[in-house]
Amino acid sequence: MMKFLFMMIFMIPLCFMKNMFWLVQMMLFFMMFLFMNLNLNIMCFFNMSYMFYCDIISFGLILLSIWICSLMIMASESLFKLNFYFNFFLFNVIFLLIMLYLTFSVLNLLLFYFFFEASLIPTLLLIIGWGYQPERIQAGMYLLFYTLFGSLPLLMGIIYIFNDLNTMTIYFLKFFNMNMYLLYISMIFAFLVKMPMYFVHLWLPKAHVEAPVSGSMILAGIMLKLGGYGLLRVMIFLQEVNLKLNYIWIIISLVGGLFISMKCFCQVDMKSLIAYSSVAHMSMVIGGIMVMNYWGFIGSYILMISHGLCSSGMFCLANINYERLHSRSLYINSGMMNFMPSMSLWWFLLLSSNMAAPPSLNLLGEISLINSLVSWSNISMILLMMISFFSAGYSLYLYSYIQHGKYFQGLYSFYVGSSREYLLLFLHWFPLNMMILKVDFISIWF
Amino acid sequence: MFFFILTNNNSNKMFFLFILFFSTLISISSNSWFGCWIGLEINLLSFIPLISNSKNLLSVETSLKYFLTQSLASINFLFMILIKFSLLKNFDMNNIISIMMNSSLLMKMGSAPFHFWFPNIVEGLSWMNNFMLMTWQKISPMILLSYYFNKNFLIFMIIMNLIIGSLGGLNQTSLRKLLAFSSINNLGWMIFSIMISENLWLFYFLIYSMMIFMMISLFFLMNMYFMNQLFINNMNFFIKLNLLINFLSLGGLPPFMGFMPKWIIINFLLINKFYFLTFIFMMTSLIIIYYYIRIIYSSFMFNYFKMKWVNLLMKNNMSLINLSSFISISSMILSTFIFM
Repeated sequence: MMKFLFMMIFMIPLCFMKNMFWLVQMMLFFMMFLFMNLNLNIMCFFNMSYMFYCDIISFGLILLSIWICSLMIMASESLFKLNFYFNFFLFNVIFLLIMLYLTFSVLNLLLFYFFFEASLIPTLLLIIGWGYQPERIQAGMYLLFYTLFGSLPLLMGIIYIFNDLNTMTIYFLKFFNMNMYLLYISMIFAFLVKMPMYFVHLWLPKAHVEAPVSGSMILAGIMLKLGGYGLLRVMIFLQEVNLKLNYIWIIISLVGGLFISMKCFCQVDMKSLIAYSSVAHMSMVIGGIMVMNYWGFIGSYILMISHGLCSSGMFCLANINYERLHSRSLYINSGMMNFMPSMSLWWFLLLSSNMAAPPSLNLLGEISLINSLVSWSNISMILLMMISFFSAGYSLYLYSYIQHGKYFQGLYSFYVGSSREYLLLFLHWFPLNMMILKVDFISIWF
Repeated sequence: MFFFILTNNNSNKMFFLFILFFSTLISISSNSWFGCWIGLEINLLSFIPLISNSKNLLSVETSLKYFLTQSLASINFLFMILIKFSLLKNFDMNNIISIMMNSSLLMKMGSAPFHFWFPNIVEGLSWMNNFMLMTWQKISPMILLSYYFNKNFLIFMIIMNLIIGSLGGLNQTSLRKLLAFSSINNLGWMIFSIMISENLWLFYFLIYSMMIFMMISLFFLMNMYFMNQLFINNMNFFIKLNLLINFLSLGGLPPFMGFMPKWIIINFLLINKFYFLTFIFMMTSLIIIYYYIRIIYSSFMFNYFKMKWVNLLMKNNMSLINLSSFISISSMILSTFIFM
């Protein structure tokens, strides 16, 4: 585990050398393949060294973060070509990857908090430094302050736990029962803001829209999953309060997911639509975790991984359109099938995964979540039915508005699609649709 | 070299600088309250020549205001010492006397609710004089505060410090006043740390003064006094990064070094069960981070108009910027070593 940390630390000097842009990306792919070959023991914490460990959840999420970071660099070729501070960009990506890797792999809850907060700083730099519109300042402020407002009580909760239990090792937390309401709220609120839950979701459309493609990819891909990972770790020692109070969060997130799905139909901005669909998917994830049965945990974990790949791929597609037409509006991006028919294939594949069509991993996640939520309460069937239906609805809406119809007459000329872009989209789609063939390593936890 | 800068490139004032340092030492190492008072008075007397500059009318007015407020506080302090000496025969710990003594020391420091002179005066001082006012002048009142500490009264003062320091800076555009309000807020953290242990106060104070020094030296070299000047300068990339890291560190965000003293203080707050007070500490520091980020917008955004006619004062003072850049960037890495 430490060897990957040192590999990432020593990639930092590599970012500042000349002509090393693609080499950094290749090294990240190399690290991904090295990391995949770790011995994976499902039932326990494995690879424990001084302060690191690997669990089935953290293994999958670290894989996802390395994968998305390398795809981030692949998607940002325009920074390299236009020579827009790409050295510092690479440093930002590697620094963010180090912080995410450490978040998922430290044994100590306080260090988890430290790296959780620390991963916000490079994200903020990505949004404000390389974003496109002047509204990105406000987006960065919303991101920073929503997250900090939630996570400062988390710091209080963690230090309170330390003073009470004299340990902060994540493994030992399952032997304790701290059933206090105020502690529960302070620990959970940070992750609910990060997920995001419906009432505190306002930072997400702003941050996703104003971020450059790499910022959107990492936000949709991993930063939302930090909330889910934190919830999975922290709920262990609060079980009785969870059983009493979780229904609040389930109801808020499911009803909120319904409203957000309907709001997706009103969006004009492509990226805004994808951002709102992220909130709707994450609302189901929150519902699944909060129900606290096995299928719920499995479904939310699978949906986290698959949503990370799928949303990140859709943001890449939106950026491919943006780089050519310099607009994200649905009025301008229409009739693209006439010009880029191969991109139309990728739009279809990724949007069909978004609407949880077989054989994508989203399907398995949604089916598990539907099972778990309906087993919790029959009435949630209505909400789930409508959320799934609307997610199919807005995915099709996005697809047909972009691809079919008459094209915008003000277009000049652009090329169809470079092989780098095809590779980028393929690498998003392939794990998403092929992992369903070997899903037991992420869905069997004991 | 450092002392030369502190005296605003006027070596005639070095005499007063040395007496300033000596006066604090008198104040904190005396074994009688009179010695403390003497130290405070010499402190006042030697700071006035440092800040007054007869060619500039604003600095004359500033030194006069400083003299009036500080001497009022000293007189109050002396009176309370004498009352304690004569009426109580120096034995009892009386509530009213300790409140009055703490109040006079709070007024010396510029802490709420006696803070009104502080943003006023920093507006009239140059950056290096501000640095002395914000760091060195706080040492002796803080240590004297720890001798006769009234917990109930001072917790209320801490809350007022935090709230005034955070909310007062929201409508400011002058960088000096912003740093003054942030200093008032940090005084709240420091007074609480005195309550726990004097070692902890020293630790927080040292890290705070190091961060303030890096920021003030940066503003001093670029000769920036107002927020609109942040956008029309010619900063190169490392100076921008330096500014960014320093302000985020002062706000207490991980992974920078400024997180560590705040973390330790929150630890002690929660051990002693000050739950609501911890919440106030957290939320006011959120407001402070808001106006710090407003200052560092210019260093977040990489492309904006750079005026090429603005020259940085870099000829003789390159070593200072290099040193402070190195410290601020490496403190990020060093702080992770300390944590792990």
